Amino acid sequence: NLEPRRKKKRGSRWEGTEQDRAFIPGMPTTIPTNMSKDQEKAYLTQLRIEQISRMLRTGELGVSSNPEERSPSPEPIYDSAGKRLNTREVRQRSKLESERHQHVLEMFKLNPEYKPPPDYKPPANKIVD
Amino acid sequence: PGLNIAEASKVSVTEVLCLLNMVTEEELVDDEEYEDILEDIKEECGKYGTVRSIEIPRPIPNVEVPGVGKIFVEYASKSDCQKAQQQLTGRKFAHRVVVTTFYDPDKYHRRQF
Repeated sequence: NLEPRRKKKRGSRWEGTEQDRAFIPGMPTTIPTNMSKDQEKAYLTQLRIEQISRMLRTGELGVSSNPEERSPSPEPIYDSAGKRLNTREVRQRSKLESERHQHVLEMFKLNPEYKPPPDYKPPANKIVD
Repeated sequence: PGLNIAEASKVSVTEVLCLLNMVTEEELVDDEEYEDILEDIKEECGKYGTVRSIEIPRPIPNVEVPGVGKIFVEYASKSDCQKAQQQLTGRKFAHRVVVTTFYDPDKYHRRQF
């Protein structure tokens, strides 16, 4: 039964076309069948780290332009000069950085010689929404 | 950096496509989100050939479920499966880069994810 039974919350999660796909140098997206579970995990973790680093670098943070596909925004927080601190960009960056941090910790466990991306810094303090 | 995939052994085509890096455990816990994901997969994967079956292992609390985070799509033929693999690899799904590999059909049918 391929008919949708109910209304979906959001549009398809698929992006782009076969002409428009992610390319991460040195990290092909087709992997061999015979990788061990640990190799596979290390590879996917590393790929995600590279992808997040690229998002942070380019500023393409993967925030949907459709408000229905985003979670509700928190109450704004302003600094003493009246500048908003928890903008969508700031929140998304901090989310990506903390996800990347978890993956980097995972990589250290899998491979103690792992070198994190040059712009990676372990979090000093957390921004709380 | 890291593992040298290019030098790893050649990929052999099967009828079962394994899609990786697309879903997280948290997304699969939610019933509605799971149904949505399943629909997205059916709709897209059906464009490249006849889909025989789809398996999306879901997490169970306190149980180590194999294959959680992977999506398996069984096609009617190797050529359909290869076509799908070529079209889907490197695409993005929910802002994540889709990684593909072919999966052993025997293992798939025995649910050895």
